[in-house]
Order: sequence, then structure tokens, then C-alpha cells
Amino acid sequence: MDGACAGGARNVATPQRIWTGFHERIATVRSMPAERVLRAIAGVLALVGIGVAAYITVVEAGGGSPQCLAGGHGCETVANSSYSHIAGVNVAVFGIVGYVLLALCALAPGDVSRIAGVAASMVGFGFSAYLTYLELFVIDAICQWCVASAVLMTLLLIVNGLRAFGYLGAELVSSPRPAHADEV
Amino acid sequence: MDRQRLIQIASAAAFLAVCAVAVLVVVSMAGGGSGGDTELEDVAVVGHELRGIPQRDTVLGDPEAKVKVVEYGDLQCPVCRQFSIETAPDLIDQAVRPGTASYELRQWTVLGPQSVDAARAALAAADQDRYWNYVELFYRNQGAEESGYVTDEFLTAIARGAGVPDIERWNRDRHAPGLKAVLERTDAEAGRLGLRGTPSFVVEGPGGRQTLSVPTFGDLEAAIDAVE
Repeated sequence: MDGACAGGARNVATPQRIWTGFHERIATVRSMPAERVLRAIAGVLALVGIGVAAYITVVEAGGGSPQCLAGGHGCETVANSSYSHIAGVNVAVFGIVGYVLLALCALAPGDVSRIAGVAASMVGFGFSAYLTYLELFVIDAICQWCVASAVLMTLLLIVNGLRAFGYLGAELVSSPRPAHADEV
Repeated sequence: MDRQRLIQIASAAAFLAVCAVAVLVVVSMAGGGSGGDTELEDVAVVGHELRGIPQRDTVLGDPEAKVKVVEYGDLQCPVCRQFSIETAPDLIDQAVRPGTASYELRQWTVLGPQSVDAARAALAAADQDRYWNYVELFYRNQGAEESGYVTDEFLTAIARGAGVPDIERWNRDRHAPGLKAVLERTDAEAGRLGLRGTPSFVVEGPGGRQTLSVPTFGDLEAAIDAVE
């Protein structure tokens, strides 16, 4: 009986206990991917995102519109709508900047890149959600390149969120040390 | 740096991220619905009204439909604008969308040189299958007749708002010499039909042909039934 009560007390989830206990858990919970893996995934996603945003930017800079591979005029309609520019700058340019930032965060180790990565992902995800709303309910056209970018931003938010949640402050924990945190 | 400090920094970064999204959305919405520097009304309304209806050249709907509704209109004409906003949506929803009739708008430029500029711009959009988006959006942003509002900037804004895919091509096409012959042909047709003003309608089908001037939707519906 006493043992059961003591065991219950150990499971009280105070913020301090969650924080200190987290790195202990990731040493034993095998489902949490290694930070190196999360960074690699984030890097690949960001590179694909740079490719998508660069394609849209280059095509529009040449006076054309991105082509929907599945056919239809959705991409042209979205690209030519007034919502495709913010303060005169094509949103795809913002996309390139965001993806480059996310790629740098994936490359760099440490807490600064963990925090910057999740913050940049939040901005990208939030703005992608807004653009998707515009496509569905305002512009009334769907551009598959925008959908691809929104999916990438969603995946980046998940990956960077896992990285920040799982490994933020990993270097502060001297014992036990996170099993997979890499500091390369 | 201790853990508390890290949590504070992470929270501040998350807050800044939310603020950044809010700023982007506000700036985007402030410029949204416009065609560059020109503010446009009802971009979304037009897109919704025409959504899913095929358009080829100047014809909206199934070009093989038994009944053909042909309007002779001028983009500067305020009565045409009123028809476009108040009556055309019923015609499109109840006759064109189901495939009962096709709907064509022929550019009968009766009000002045700016009508010709506007008509050329609309016909150039037809080459990219955005004619109907162009004319409907034009009507919803129409200014006073021959007041000088039909500028290159205005026409380009309408083209962008209408979703014309290739603006450069559209800009070349609207100056094409061949469009003059198209407008002259329409003018001659209207003369032969004895039309007196815009908007006038010819409703034609297997059962014959009727000519109407500034009709209500009821008039058009009756004419469609009669010639079907």
C-alpha cells in the first residue's frame, strides 16, 4: 500500500518534473527519434521547400505562371491573384527565405537552432494555413505547389516541434545525458 | 543558461512567431482583393459565380447547348452592369450551369473609345479562357462612362483579378489588329438584328429566335422555354 502511494507521488507531473524527467525518458523511450535523424529529415524537407518556392519565383519572374502538373488553371489563378504578393513581394520569395532559415536551423546544433527552427516552422505553418484558407474560400482555386508547400511546412513543424520538445536543453542535463542528442 | 531561462526564450520565440504570422496576414489582407495598386471589388464573388462552368472564347457553358443566349453589351454601360449583377447570376445558375443554354456576350462598343479599349482587353482574356471572369469583374468595378478610368493599369488589374494566366500575352493580344474586325462584325450584326441599345439579347434554339432588350430573368426564362 505504501509502495503504491509512493509510486503515485513520483508520477505527479509538475513542470519541473516534466522538464527534468523528459531527458530521462528519451534515454529509454525508443520511439523518440535521434536528434540527428530529426535534423536530417528537417534538412531534406527544407531543401524540397526551397525547390518548390524557387520554381514558383523563377517562373513568375519570367512573366509566366507555375503549371499545375495535374492540369487545370488553379496554379495560374492563385499566382495571378492579388494575394500572391505581400507589399509587392511574391509570397514565394518569403517561402525561399523561410525554407533557407529552416535548412540552416537543421544544419546547426544547439538550443538556438532548436528554438529558431520551431519558431520559423510556426510562422511557416501559420502562414501556409492562411494561404490555404484563401485558396479554398476566397480565390476559389487550388494550386498544387501551394498545397505541397503547406504539407512541407506542416511536416517541418512536427519535426522541429519534436526536436525542440525532445532535446531543448539537452546539453544542460549532465546525468543522465540524452541518449541520442548529437552536438555535431 | 539555466532551464527556466531556456523556457522563457522558447516561449518568447513562439510568441514572436505568432505575431509574425499575424503581421503577414494583416498586410496580405490589406493588399488582397486588389490587382496591384488598384483596389477591386468582388474578386471572390465572380470566382464563385463562375466556378465549375466551362468557358471557351466568349461563350460560357456548354457550347453545344440547344439554346444559345447571346448578349450584345458594352462594358461601360451601367444598365449592362446592373444586368450582370442582378439578373445574370440567375441566368447562369438556372440555365447555363445545368446545360440548358449557353451564354455569349458580344462586345458591342457603343459608348465611346474607352469601350473599345475595354472590349479589346476582354477579348484578349478570351484567348486564355478567362473572358467571363474578365467581364464580370469589369462590371463589378465599372466607373462612370468615358470618365478616363479605363486605363492600362485598371485593365491590367482586372486581368490579374480575373486570373488571366499569362498577363504578358494578354497585354500583347489586346493590341492585336484582328480585334478591330471582331468589333466591327459585332456592330454590323447588331445593326442587322435591329438592336436599339445595350444590353440586348438574342435567344435562339430549335424552336426559333427571340430578341429582347434589358430583359428580366423571367423574360429570358420564357424565351428559353419558347425556343427550346
